[in-house]
Parts: sequence; C-alpha cells; structure tokens
Amino acid sequence: MSTANLSRRGFLKTSGIVGGGLVVGFSLNGCSAGPVPLKSVASAWAPNAFVQITPDNVMRFYCPRDEMGQGVTTGLATLVAEDLDVSPERLLIELAGPHPDYNNPAFGAQGTGGSTSVKAHYTQLRQVGADVRQVLLQAAAQDLGVPIDSLDTDDGHIVHGDDRLPYGRFVATAAGLEIGGGAALKPPSAFKHIGREFPRLDALAKSTGTAQFGIDVDVPGMEHAVVVRCPVAGGTVKRFESEAARAMPGVTAVVQISSGVAVVAQKYWQAKQAAGKLEVEWTSPQLADVSSADMRAEYALALEDAGDTAHSEGDLEAGFTSAQTVIEQDYWAPYLSHSPMEPMNAVVHVREGEADVWSGTQGIGIAQGLVARYAGLDVENVRAHATYLGGGFGRRATLTHIIEATEVSVATGKPIHLLWSREDDIRHGVFRPASLVRIRTGVDDEGRLTAWQARRVGGNITPYTLKAALPGVLPSLGDGTVDWLVGVAHGAFDGWVVDSSGVEGLHEDLDVANVAVEHVTRENGLPLTFWRSVGHSYTAFAKETALDELAVQAGIDPIELRLRNTGGKPRLQGVIREAGARMQQMQPAPGRSLGFAAHSSFDTDVAEVAEVSVEGGRIRVHKVLCVVDCGIAVNPDVVRAQMEGAIMFGLTAALHGEHTLENGAVVQSNFHDYPILRMNEAPEVEVVIIESAEEPTGVGEPGLPPIAPAVANAVYAATGQRLRSLPLRLA
Amino acid sequence: MIRFELNGHIVETDDAPDTPLLWVVRDTFKLKGSKYGCGAGLCGACTMHLDGQAVRTCVLPVSAVAGKTITTIEGLGTPEAPHPLQAVWAEQGVPQCGYCQSGQIMSAAALLESNPAPSDEQVEQAMAGNICRCGCYPRIKQAILTAAAELAVEVTA
Ligand code: FES
Ligand code: FES
Repeated sequence: MSTANLSRRGFLKTSGIVGGGLVVGFSLNGCSAGPVPLKSVASAWAPNAFVQITPDNVMRFYCPRDEMGQGVTTGLATLVAEDLDVSPERLLIELAGPHPDYNNPAFGAQGTGGSTSVKAHYTQLRQVGADVRQVLLQAAAQDLGVPIDSLDTDDGHIVHGDDRLPYGRFVATAAGLEIGGGAALKPPSAFKHIGREFPRLDALAKSTGTAQFGIDVDVPGMEHAVVVRCPVAGGTVKRFESEAARAMPGVTAVVQISSGVAVVAQKYWQAKQAAGKLEVEWTSPQLADVSSADMRAEYALALEDAGDTAHSEGDLEAGFTSAQTVIEQDYWAPYLSHSPMEPMNAVVHVREGEADVWSGTQGIGIAQGLVARYAGLDVENVRAHATYLGGGFGRRATLTHIIEATEVSVATGKPIHLLWSREDDIRHGVFRPASLVRIRTGVDDEGRLTAWQARRVGGNITPYTLKAALPGVLPSLGDGTVDWLVGVAHGAFDGWVVDSSGVEGLHEDLDVANVAVEHVTRENGLPLTFWRSVGHSYTAFAKETALDELAVQAGIDPIELRLRNTGGKPRLQGVIREAGARMQQMQPAPGRSLGFAAHSSFDTDVAEVAEVSVEGGRIRVHKVLCVVDCGIAVNPDVVRAQMEGAIMFGLTAALHGEHTLENGAVVQSNFHDYPILRMNEAPEVEVVIIESAEEPTGVGEPGLPPIAPAVANAVYAATGQRLRSLPLRLA
Repeated sequence: MIRFELNGHIVETDDAPDTPLLWVVRDTFKLKGSKYGCGAGLCGACTMHLDGQAVRTCVLPVSAVAGKTITTIEGLGTPEAPHPLQAVWAEQGVPQCGYCQSGQIMSAAALLESNPAPSDEQVEQAMAGNICRCGCYPRIKQAILTAAAELAVEVTA
C-alpha cells in the first residue's frame, strides 16, 4: 500500500463503534482481506488498522512490524503519535496479527527485515496519525458547536480555549464521520516526538519478566513436543524405534513428522528426556559428503572461474594498466548461525476447521499460512497471535518450527508447545553462507582507484528463503509447484543471474570507472538465509580490508583513500570525514592501535574506529567509535542502542563465530564451542549521530558491516599481521 | 513431593527430582519470566536466587532446592513496584529483545547484595556468565553502576 493510495482512499467511509464482542475494522487497501484482527475493546473506535481509541481515552497502536529488539514498536509508535499529537508513552502497544493492512510497504507483504521498517512506514504512519487527528477535530467541532479552526490538539486532548478535552470524549461522534484522508503532516520544525530521546516503550516489561515471548505462551491442555532431527540437513527418517521413549514418564505420543520424529509429553523436561531414548536411522543426503576443510579448498579453486557478471563498467584491464599500485587478496567468512537467545518455538492448536498459532516471527502472515497449509485449513480460519521475539537477526523468517508444531498438533489433536534446544538451534538452523571473496584493485599516484574487481564464491540465499516463505505466503500452492519454483531459482542463480544478496556491498560505495563484480555459485544443500546485514556482513570485510591494504602499499592515508573514491556517496563521505577527524583526536593507550572502516548498507552510512590491543595472541577490542548517518534519527537512543548491539553482534563474528561441517553435520553445539561475546570482552562504544533533515533510513543492521574490518585493520596496525579470514586469528 | 519457598510462598511439586528447577518454575508454577537459553549453564538466561545466591537453574535439579528459598525475576519486583535495578534498566533503555534481561538483572541483584559498590572490573567479572546476543553490555554495565550509586545514596541519606 503506497502513501498516495492511503490518502486517496475513497472507499473508507465511516468506521463503526463496536460494543464488546466482534470488532470490525476496515481494510485500508480495499481488498477483501477480511476483518482486521483488533482487540475486542468495548465501545472503542478503530478508524483504521493501526489506532483504536476508547471513550476513556485509552489509545492503542497496533504495530505492524515485529519487535525483535530493534525498537520498532517504539519507533513506529513515535511516527503515528507525532501527527496524532499524543506522547508515544501514552500509547498501549499491541503486536498486530496477520492482515494485508499491516504489510510492510517495502515488501508488499507482512514481513520484518532488511532494516526497512522506519523508512518504509515513515510517511504512512504519520499520515494515519494526521488523518485520525483531523477526524477527532471535526467531531469535537460538531459536539462543541464551535468552528474547527478554534480548536487545537495537545497530547491526546482537544484544546478549546482553556479546556483540554480527551480525544476519547469525541470517538462516538468521530465514528459517524467520514475520514477524508490527506490531512497535512507536521513540518519537521513542529516535531515534538520524532528526534526526541526517550527510553524505549517496552523497557519496563522487559526488565520485569512480564514481556511475553513465544516460549512463554501457555494454553490450557497444552502438551510439549521435542523433535529429533537428522544431524545432516536434508536427511529424512528411514526407520525409528520408539518403545523406550514411549515408556518414559509423561510421554503421550511419538509421531513422525516431515523434519524427524517428535516426542510429546505433559511437560517439556519429560519430552526432552524421552527424546534422548529414541533411536532413529536417517537417509544420507548430498550434504553428508561435505566437510569444511575441503570446502574452503574447493572455494579457492572456484575463484579461478570467471563466474557470472553481477556488475561491470568501463575497461578493467585498461584500469589495471594505468594503476601505480595493484593488490590482489582473498577474504574468507565462515558459516554462522544467528543463535538468538530465545531458541525457536511455537504453540499451535489445530481443531476441527480452525487453528491458533502463537509465535514470535519476522512474518506473522507466513506463520498463519504455514499452519493453514499443514493443517489443511483456509487461511481465514487460522488465528495467528504475535509475541515479542527473543532476537531475530533474520533467523525468524524461516519458520520450520511452526510446520513441526502444526504437524504434531494435527497428529495429536492437542495444543502443542514445541521448543528447539540450543543444540537444535546451532545444528539444525539456517545459516549465513560461507563466502570467499577475491578483490583485485589498483590505484594511481593521485590516490584514485583505476580498477576494482571483486569475485565472490558461495551459496545463494534467495532459493532457500523462497523455499521457507512460499508455502506460507501462498498456502494453496502445491508442494510440487513450490519445489519447481525453488529449483528454478537455484538454477537461475547458477549461471544466469546473480543473487544480489551474495554480492551486495562489494562495489556500490566506490566511485571507480572500471569495475567488475563476479559471482561463482557453490552449493551443498546446507540451508542458508539472511543474517544481520546479509551479504554486507562479509563483503564489507573484504572491501574495507582491501582498501586498507591498498592504502598501506601505496603509501596513502587510508581515510584519504576512501574520501577520494566515494564521490558518489556524499553521506558516506560525511561519516568518513567525521570519524576520521575524531580518530585523529583519539589517543590510544600504549600498546593499543586504531583501525578504520566505513560502509553503506540499507541506505545508512556508518564509519567505525576500533581501538585494539593484542596481548598474548589474543585480540582485545577496548573501544569503538561509531559515526552514523541514518537521516532523521526518530529516537536517537534507539539508534545508539542498535549501533551498540550491531557492533557486539559483529564482534562475536569477528572474534569467535564459526560453524564447521564434518560429513555434513554442524560440529558446534552450544555456547562453549560457538562462543558469544561476553561483557568482559565488550568494548566501550561511542555513537555519534549525524544531524540530518533527510527521511530516516534503517538502523538494525548497518552498524555491523564495518566492525570486523575496523578490528582487522587495527590488528594490522598493532602487529603487522594482515588477517584475511573470519573469525580473526593471529598466526 | 519436593517443597521449597518460591517468591515468598511455600510450594510443592511432584515433578521428578532430577527436573531442572527452571522447568519446574516455568511449566509447573507457570512463572515465565526466567528463560531458557542453553540448558547447559553457559548463558545465564535462567538465573534465579537460591538463598540469595545467583544460580543457573537449567542445570540445578529441583531436589537440590528442597527446603530452600528461591527468588525469580517476578519476586524481585513488578512493573508497579520495580526493584531499583529494574527501574534503572527501564530508565536507561537497557533491553533490546529483552530475552536475556531477567537473568542479567538477577545476576546483577545478587552482585549488589554481596558487593554494593562494585568496580567496573567486578561488574564485568560478575556478569561474564550472562550472554546478551543483542549486545546490551555497555548499558547493562552502566545500569548496574548507576543503581549501585543510587542505592549508596539511599543508604547514607
Ligand atoms: S539456560 Fe541456564 S545458563 Fe543458559
Ligand atoms: S536483550 Fe536480547 S539477548 Fe539480551
């Protein structure tokens, strides 16, 4: 739904008040999508899918995007609140259920990711707020019998002379009025909340154990399921022996499902114990032949292929001929799991003709569609209830656990709480693809890049994400069609077109006349997906380390080199300049060195400086300076938190993160061998937000890409060792 | 039957004695604030207080708490009457996804009980057992130091 579309909507005439019972909302996009799943609140007025106001002035905001920690509930509430003229702190936040009105304007579907939310909803939700305010003013004018221009608003109240009357007083009248739409938006100079710093709205609930995550859902009669899956992705059950498991206390069922064998018990711990007694024999999939050591060697060989062209400009060879200094190096990044702190889980209850699902997902509509598909129901008979996500990072766009819970509920007829263990999460998830990138580049004696060639070897995430999403997005599509489409995608990305998520960030920041970006696909069946900052998580490491190497070799200041070759991106240059100037002022303690990197991703520009020491072969990051330009910072405190968080997430990958395969099985299993950065390793972080009047851009991911190269460049400054493999390990 | 004190109430369970306390509290007593993160004592998401000490309850059999006193995040404070740490946590916007925060706060509360004025290093050491995948560490540390300072003022006032 575009903004234009929203303000022109002529079909939305009046919106009724509903006393208790059924709440009927009206679809903004006019299609027959059915009622908007709003809370049933007595006498509440719901002029659209987002705002619901009661006569006693309780105002609810239905947040269309999923809260996985990125602060989206606070950010989007601020947008609607600004033009509705109410403090966001006054709004009760509800997590929206599935409905097309809640689609992400960036995707045309109900999904959260790609650092899109604030950017995509910026004008839309402000317009929603402005239009609702306008109708409330009209209603007040009518009720009070005064001209509308004698009225104003302030923090959820109509102001008339000295009187402050709560919005709620006018909802009965407002419900009978036409919503014209297209009300004027506030000029930025009148902003009261956008740009204001206040603590995120969910902080108290999340500090008192009262915020509800998917794992916390508990419905009457619920039983618990634990699934045993094949150690190698793609393996299926050949046969299994369940007698011992069935004899364990509390066990009520053992069922074979698509991903393995599920043990169901009255309590989680009983199911978990009993699952350990199952004996399962698996088929051996193609991935069983893959081990990490061979894989890296194979990728290195593949780098010698020309690959498919993703982008090409100018004359590369002429560019190299005119270069003064040329370097060529390869940069490695391993498989990684997201490992959000809350492992995958869902509660699903399938009954005759209907079902409920509760889960924290990055696409509640996909959850609804998957339950419908696997329970054989129509989508409108599946109620999907969103919860907070205990971390997402891309992981919760793949909802295999919802399929599993649905299959078990169908088989048992009971409400099923299905929980993955940490070991399941690390071994059976969907991964950030491993990647080997070769950069060959040359610079002239004025510090201008004359040629830039980047070639990446690795898997493509798009076919896997299609396979994960399609069955839920289009539940009526047959399995055969889904497999066929996924097969087409796999084929297309190997030899025809390049999956842009594999090469994103390899050249876009650079203003070079002669460029080639190439891609060589290598797949083995390990499922892949988005992982916080996606391709940028490894392309920035390659690009920014290579630039540092080139600067050193050519004897150019690394910041100057970047400034001279990013002419097409003034905002990126702005953060490079600011961080560069601050870097000059930084006075690292003896034994510490500084490293610099900058990268643009998801339309946001970030430069980072890492202060690092190397002690006894161990890399320690003491301090990180982060300069970000994300347009208007809707809530600067949340922007800072996202930069801090992305830096820590990126440091885990830079210093520790690695999944390896042995005969196709993931070797790591829990936090002892897949360590996550801890507080005693966490640097101090200073975030500088560039003042801007431009519309906001995303902040969930862009803080991550620069951190690994900033640290690697600092390690080089400290030791003279150039580290080109993640995680960073000294020789 | 195993009997213990949970947030000020005497409770009894017939869950198997080797059931980790975490699951007894979550599934039997339906207190969902304490979280499962690793099940192996590695992440701290399940931290509660056992007679005032921070313990990892995903690896603590319920039989070990017979006759003892357990406090969970729900027993520490509520949205209406938060513990000083919870109040500072909210004021400083510490949580991101929030999933680890019950465990973080329980570890922090035990730390301040035993050491009301910890140094930076002491905070880092005491909190090193609690993972936050969202990377809220700088804020967690700052919030603990702020709460310690506020509590110190209260004590002297
Ligand atoms: S769940 Fe207990 S330490 Fe991780
Ligand atoms: S806030 Fe998400 S894991 Fe700590």
